[in-house]
Amino acid sequence: MAEITAQTKKFQKELNSGTSSLVLLSVLSHSKEPMYGYQIAKLLEENGPDFPMMKQGTLYPVLRSLEENGLLESTVEPSVSGPPRRYYKITKDGRAALDEWLDIWKLTKKFVDVNLKG
Amino acid sequence: MFNTIEEYLEALKNEMKDADSALTHDAQSDAREHLTTALTIAREANPEISEADALKKIVEEYGTPEETASAYQEVERRTSPVLKQAVKPRSALGSFFGVYTDPRAWGALLFMLIAFVTGVFYFTWAVTGASLSLSFAIFIFGLPFALLFLLSVRGLALLEGRLVEALLGIRMPRRPLFSHQGMKWLDRLKALVMDKATWLMLVYMLIQFVLGIAYFISIVVVLSFSLSFIAIPVLQEWLGQGAIYDNGMRYFFPTWSYPLFVLGGFLLWTTFMNIARGVGQLHGKMAKWLLVSE
Repeated sequence: MAEITAQTKKFQKELNSGTSSLVLLSVLSHSKEPMYGYQIAKLLEENGPDFPMMKQGTLYPVLRSLEENGLLESTVEPSVSGPPRRYYKITKDGRAALDEWLDIWKLTKKFVDVNLKG
Repeated sequence: MFNTIEEYLEALKNEMKDADSALTHDAQSDAREHLTTALTIAREANPEISEADALKKIVEEYGTPEETASAYQEVERRTSPVLKQAVKPRSALGSFFGVYTDPRAWGALLFMLIAFVTGVFYFTWAVTGASLSLSFAIFIFGLPFALLFLLSVRGLALLEGRLVEALLGIRMPRRPLFSHQGMKWLDRLKALVMDKATWLMLVYMLIQFVLGIAYFISIVVVLSFSLSFIAIPVLQEWLGQGAIYDNGMRYFFPTWSYPLFVLGGFLLWTTFMNIARGVGQLHGKMAKWLLVSE
């Protein structure tokens, strides 16, 4: 992906706006401990070093909106160095939503694949 | 490129200057948390690296100020405050009586009642804290006390912001802006004292006291008048009491005036609900001006 046109960027952004909620919810559902933004960003980077799909900065507003919708909850804890960190944890509603979203995702994937094959 | 985190935050602020100030506030606080953590970790791995070099890679991963700003604005468009749902345009009369179905009016009314309690509390807290901070200044523990007090003011301001957003539907910051991490507490105190925002928050706490009392009195007075007017027929017909009591004598209003009284009471309360909705919006504007640091 050497040349990224504005069109492509826009397409990528639109795709991300749906998938990032799904990915974040899923990451937090696998984690036993609450996680803070930087940790999540690092984990995503480790999981997929070859796909720089989204900028880390775009994760935060998504986390915040998930929290507002009651799918995540957060607590602020002081850190040894630097500003206090916000730790996110998935809620019961979040898990229920994730189950539904995963079904939708599987269907979407199938639908797109089938049609791309032609 | 950015030499310091502050430079990045400044650029981000510029990028979001047309956005809602509360949203900017949230974006700043997230970026500060992330960049500081990333920088600390980068420096642990490589103590030689300069802040500018480390930031170059970090910002590349985090996103430029433009990208970050647009991400926040994008998400914000999808999640607006609960009460902000657009009210359908109606005729003047429709919107006057439609006030009963407008959540903003009920929210404002509830806020005005709560403002009485919070106002008294804020006032007591501000006056006690300020005078104790001043008088303790001659002792060793005076300065830490002042620091705690000023921090509590910022905390209360954030809480008040949540209340304003929930009840008045005005977007307010959702998390605190920590601008002095890694400072010694004395520097922190200095930063707080020098920050205009702290003093504006204190001013808000004092104003809330006066407004809270005024709100409470107007609600009680108007509600009692409205209910009394509506109760006149009940009082006279069912309980057989004259509505006017003067010098040991009871006088009756004529029967034909009953509908007028009931209508008057209802109109009075409806008018007040409309005023309350407006006052709530004004109060929200004031809160935003005083509590959200630009």
